[in-house]
Amino acid sequence: MRVFMETIKVKNIHFSYDTKDIIKDVSFSLKQGEFLGIIGPNGAGKSTILRILCGILKPKTGEIIIFDKDINDINKKILAQKIAFVPQETHFALNFPVEDIVLMGRFPYLRAFQRERKKDFQATEHALMYANVSQFRERPINSLSSGERQRVVLARALAQEPEILLLDEPTSHLDLHHQYAIMELLKKLNAEGMSIIIINHDLNLASLYCQRLVLMHEGCIFSKGTPQSLINEKILNTVYKTEVKIIKHPYKDVPQIFFHPKGE
Amino acid sequence: MNKFVPVILIFLLAIFVSIMVGPAQLTSEIIQLRLSRVILGIFAGGILAFCGGVLQGLFGNPLVEPYTLGSASGAALGGSIGILLFGTISPLFAFFGSLGIGFFVFTVARIEGGLLRDRLILAGVVMSFLCSSLVMIIMVMGGRELYEILYLLMGYLGIIINAENRLFIILMIVLSVVLMLFLYRYHRELDIISQGLETAAGLGIDIQKFSVIIFLITSLLIGLTVSLVGAIGFVGLVIPHISKLLFGPKHLYNLPASFILGATFLLLADTVSRIITVYELPVGVVTSLIGVPFFIYLYRK
Repeated sequence: MRVFMETIKVKNIHFSYDTKDIIKDVSFSLKQGEFLGIIGPNGAGKSTILRILCGILKPKTGEIIIFDKDINDINKKILAQKIAFVPQETHFALNFPVEDIVLMGRFPYLRAFQRERKKDFQATEHALMYANVSQFRERPINSLSSGERQRVVLARALAQEPEILLLDEPTSHLDLHHQYAIMELLKKLNAEGMSIIIINHDLNLASLYCQRLVLMHEGCIFSKGTPQSLINEKILNTVYKTEVKIIKHPYKDVPQIFFHPKGE
Repeated sequence: MNKFVPVILIFLLAIFVSIMVGPAQLTSEIIQLRLSRVILGIFAGGILAFCGGVLQGLFGNPLVEPYTLGSASGAALGGSIGILLFGTISPLFAFFGSLGIGFFVFTVARIEGGLLRDRLILAGVVMSFLCSSLVMIIMVMGGRELYEILYLLMGYLGIIINAENRLFIILMIVLSVVLMLFLYRYHRELDIISQGLETAAGLGIDIQKFSVIIFLITSLLIGLTVSLVGAIGFVGLVIPHISKLLFGPKHLYNLPASFILGATFLLLADTVSRIITVYELPVGVVTSLIGVPFFIYLYRK
């Protein structure tokens, strides 16, 4: 097997709806086995970048190279075998059992009318176990809590057996327990070699779990670097226009952010 | 899937009932007339329910039905123009009406960038309104043809198959079977896209291309159906729900089940329409009469 240093390379992409520029000249790359966070204020273009990376949207100009190949030259199903995408929130119009939803992760490997093979069921089983949702396997998806549903969606992404995982705010709207469970699961996957890009609004979580961060601001990349180099009071004040206080995390050498209530 | 056995038995029973039951004496002529109604009923009820199921899956929306996309209204408009010109229902006019409106909806929805799927519904609904008002104008102008147009709008299985139109009807049925099989190929894609476009794209479905294919093929099928039997309501909305209730959310099972249940329902509705009054009611009236209370019941459950 070839060893790729860079799994995804994004070169000077632009994207706009009509005349409104959403993404302006963005370049970055994801190294093999890296845990990369994209952070930035609302409307900075973070989700648009992920949508471009998994082929939902097409950039107006620029290039995206995935495993040495241009994204436009890769068959969509083949791409889905390499990159799995976890959307921010999934609305389940049809109340499928959990097991069936995870099995859908095998779609990129199946032809029309082809029955699922043994290895598809094995991959599904593995994903169910891994995301810790196998106890729900027969439950209808809409009977689960939003945190459990998010883990099912993650299990479906794992059933794709991807090399890269893209996640759009997987922990928003989740309680403490589920936030922690999902981030720890991602950390474990990453330790086993999965390359990950995650959009996270929770800067403390991003700082704690990501190896490198890309800070976006008004469609451009404001800054790139490790959490230690990037999360400081001056940068956050410029980008978020908010006064914060930064303290080192008690167990790990990463910055954590605290608000300063007015007049106290 | 052993649930298919009782469903098919009920279906066969419905065929039997619609041939045997009715006010007229059972002569070989009557049997032949009723047989042609049965064929049209299976064809129309099956297609409407099948397409309803496909579209509800594509849009991830349980309230979408075949007529939402405008091709049925287009068929009604085309058919009405045909009636105005020739004084009788002409399937060809209806068919081209539905195709024309279908393409128009597609063109309106297709602006640069963004997601095509969501705009198709809006464009379809708007075009339906336009077609309805044009049909009303024709009805006002029509005078004597009013009656024929009413039957076209409400649905009617009484078109008599004769030597003249036999080939045309057989051709349409063969074509629609082929088109339905083509749609059925995408049962897995429909399972997935019902969970949203991002999910579908992330699993390797080309969502723009897929939406276009499904839209065009269902429009074609609906056009074929409405041009032969008129705009029969509620089958395409309610039957897919019942099918999902019985056979679960997987399109692999609920699409063929929708076809059989839709055909059964329309055959029974047609039988009711023939025996309930001295006059023959348009079958579309009966489907709505049965369909609406049933739908309200389901929706509250």
